Amino acid sequence: MFTRISDIDRLFGTMNLLQRKLDNLYGDYGRPSTYRWELDSAAPRTNLYERGDTFEIRAEVPGLEKDDLNVKIQGNYLEISGERESDTPQGYKIHKTERGLGSFSRRFTLPADVDATRVEATLKNGVLYLKLPKHEAAQPKKISIG
Amino acid sequence: MEKAKEIAKQEEKNVEKTREMYEVTPAVDIYENEDEIFLHADMPGVVKEDISVDIDNGTLSISGVRKLETEGSAAYEEFLDVEYVRSFSVPQTIDVEKVEAELKNGVLKLHLPKSEAAKPRQIQINTA
Repeated sequence: MFTRISDIDRLFGTMNLLQRKLDNLYGDYGRPSTYRWELDSAAPRTNLYERGDTFEIRAEVPGLEKDDLNVKIQGNYLEISGERESDTPQGYKIHKTERGLGSFSRRFTLPADVDATRVEATLKNGVLYLKLPKHEAAQPKKISIG
Repeated sequence: MEKAKEIAKQEEKNVEKTREMYEVTPAVDIYENEDEIFLHADMPGVVKEDISVDIDNGTLSISGVRKLETEGSAAYEEFLDVEYVRSFSVPQTIDVEKVEAELKNGVLKLHLPKSEAAKPRQIQINTA
């Protein structure tokens, strides 16, 4: 068994280390899951809202111009793809590059069919807003009681 | 009895419910050349009015608050309103007066020019 106090001390030391490691692992526990698990490097984070007869998709696309983005819609299938080009200035030494680069593509299956002809897309402050009106058949209907 | 009263009071105070805002670290790129340090920070959804850039005693702090209006119910949300916060140590040789910031497409670009004294200088050799 333990012959010296220092052995016991060391044992507790190891336990504390393990405890700290576990604490770090769950350090940001309780935050929205996306802040814990990163998405595929360049793929933008998106939100989906539903409001009566429209869906709204929002995507974080900092630094992208509207020509860098492609949106494809068919029925209830939506694809957002694009490419983030490097904006590294010429003749500069690089200290840090954390901002992701390259092409991305995300596909969604929307809860209902959308009318592709009436979709509105706007890009503002690095956020892409897509307003997707639901297809006739998927819109909420008022039923009158006979 | 006294205690029950207190609890009721507390509830009254918390009538207004606010959503908790997270602080997140924006991704940055940092470049440097002979004249300046050039910083890019991703802050999608932040408007110019909600960004602050401070340089104080060798520390550069940038902060931007994202306030997006939402309508309807959220089917899912991968990003929320957040505060982008980050600070950096910058050399004292930065010319604070001439710092320039621009915001475009959710990317903050900061030019931090070096003061004249800190720039490398070519020394002329005079022949006697």
